[in-house]
Amino acid sequence: MVWVSSPWKIALMVFPAFILFTAFFIYPVVYAGGYSLTDAAGFSGADFIGLDNYLALGEDPFFRRSVTNTLLILVLSVTFLVPASFGLALLMQQRVRAAGALRALLFGPAIVAPILVGLVWVFILDPRVGLLNHLLEPLGIPPVQWIGGDSLAPYSIAVVFIWASVGFAMTIFYAGLRLLPAEVMEASSLDGASRWQQLRYVTIPMMRETIGIVSLLLITNVFKIFELVYMLTGGGPVHSSETLVSYMYFVTFTDQRYGSGMAIAMVVFVIGALTSLAYLTLSRRGRLA
Amino acid sequence: MSAQVAESATTSRDRTTSGSRTPVPTPRPRAGRRMRRPAVIISAAAYLITFLVVLPILWITLLSFQQSDTILSDPFSLDSLTLDNYRNVLETLPLVRMYANTIIIAVASVTVGTAVSFMVSFALTRMVFRRRRTQSFLRFYLLSGLAVPVYVLLFPVYRLDLALGIYGTYLAVVIPYIAVSIPFNTLLLTGFLRDFPSELEEAAIMDGAGLFRICWSVVLPTMRPILATIVIFNVVYVFNEFPFVSILINDPDLATVSLAVSRFQGQYTVDYGGMMAAATLVLLPQLAIYAVFQRHVIAGLTAGAVKG
Repeated sequence: MVWVSSPWKIALMVFPAFILFTAFFIYPVVYAGGYSLTDAAGFSGADFIGLDNYLALGEDPFFRRSVTNTLLILVLSVTFLVPASFGLALLMQQRVRAAGALRALLFGPAIVAPILVGLVWVFILDPRVGLLNHLLEPLGIPPVQWIGGDSLAPYSIAVVFIWASVGFAMTIFYAGLRLLPAEVMEASSLDGASRWQQLRYVTIPMMRETIGIVSLLLITNVFKIFELVYMLTGGGPVHSSETLVSYMYFVTFTDQRYGSGMAIAMVVFVIGALTSLAYLTLSRRGRLA
Repeated sequence: MSAQVAESATTSRDRTTSGSRTPVPTPRPRAGRRMRRPAVIISAAAYLITFLVVLPILWITLLSFQQSDTILSDPFSLDSLTLDNYRNVLETLPLVRMYANTIIIAVASVTVGTAVSFMVSFALTRMVFRRRRTQSFLRFYLLSGLAVPVYVLLFPVYRLDLALGIYGTYLAVVIPYIAVSIPFNTLLLTGFLRDFPSELEEAAIMDGAGLFRICWSVVLPTMRPILATIVIFNVVYVFNEFPFVSILINDPDLATVSLAVSRFQGQYTVDYGGMMAAATLVLLPQLAIYAVFQRHVIAGLTAGAVKG
């Protein structure tokens, strides 16, 4: 269409989305930012206190713990999940009977509600009724506090997160592998490259962008982990297994320290914005996501 | 970016479909398909890994048929399987109600969300603004939402719902779900609409079609694949969403599936069999629906990877 559309028609098309988005998305972000600068809590009013909430977060041992936990889960997930799901995608590319069905099964956990994922894993990790301790019992290993105790919970959460994400990451890798130009692969095998050499010098370099994108997606998802903590440990004992989001939820809604809660929300926001930016730059360069 | 994402997801899906069904081996652009030495080992590894991934789900399904007292003492015993847990749970768990609530919320938010996103995307790509800058600014404005983790919105939206007097109703979550879906929907739709051939529209205009004719009868029907992706992605999101409902819905009669799941632990505190039966009853429909729409779900969600 080469003529200027009439303003009222444009307005009619744009307004519903624009108003909904502004009122329930942009305005809330601004509101959260504003609240993070006040001492709002419980039923009391809100006074402007500048950056005090942010400074107080630095002193808050629970907040620091939630940061270390999130980073721990992040490191574990990226170091294990990316190679594992990539390997799995390579495996699924081989001649395996009913590979399509296997891929569908592996992807399954990605569509199960995170809250249900948490519940399912309670039955595996629970020190009393969990499958894992029942399996270890015959080996003479005493019950392990996978989720109830103080030290193992973040690791357990990482394992559950990996379980829930591996099929999803595998699927993206698999899609990427299928888009690799067949000629290049054939040429390299004609040139006498071994399978390992082919993987090391042809496949992986050509998959670099996909690897980057999968890693970034996993990073954003790690910073969103909430339901798993909520179901598995409730953040406890004494906030030792909180992640950033679960601690934000606790501070805001349970403890009703709205000002501090929104300061944590803003930290999550900045991390989210930065990873999205990295994602955009990366996927703009590559043709595949 | 997004359009490419969607395309790559769909093409890979199409190839899979054509590849695995046809009896004649179609030439697939596959990497490294020579020499299958230990084919058996490779297959065995693939099956073993898949089994391990599915194991947690099999496990709770198995336990849900056990008597509650043997779950603790001898979880592997298969002697006394029973349907009692299911009987008990079905009496106490308002399963139909939960699903009805979830479906109401999903249908309302996904229809409206897709419609308003389509309208704004059409305006941003197919209509000519007096000032082009407004158009690109608007697109940027809507897409900026992609960078925001929705958890940031929880508390402000809670306050907003209270202020608008919709707290604790279906609308309390429907409106935020629509708002949250706009950036991603717009991303996919504007990506798609940009490449739409203008000849079709021009022909329609020659035939005397007005704006709404073009929009709904000419453009919309061609967009079925991308709309399917969007609808699937949004429906899965609404079914799985927990943080918003946990705060914005306080009435048990309005509880969605994921909100109900979070309460199993409280409801069946010592009745582990009941808990597992309840979990299985929620899990199985989800997996059944997934099994039916599996290819589309995978394509939709890998396309939705942008939003995650």
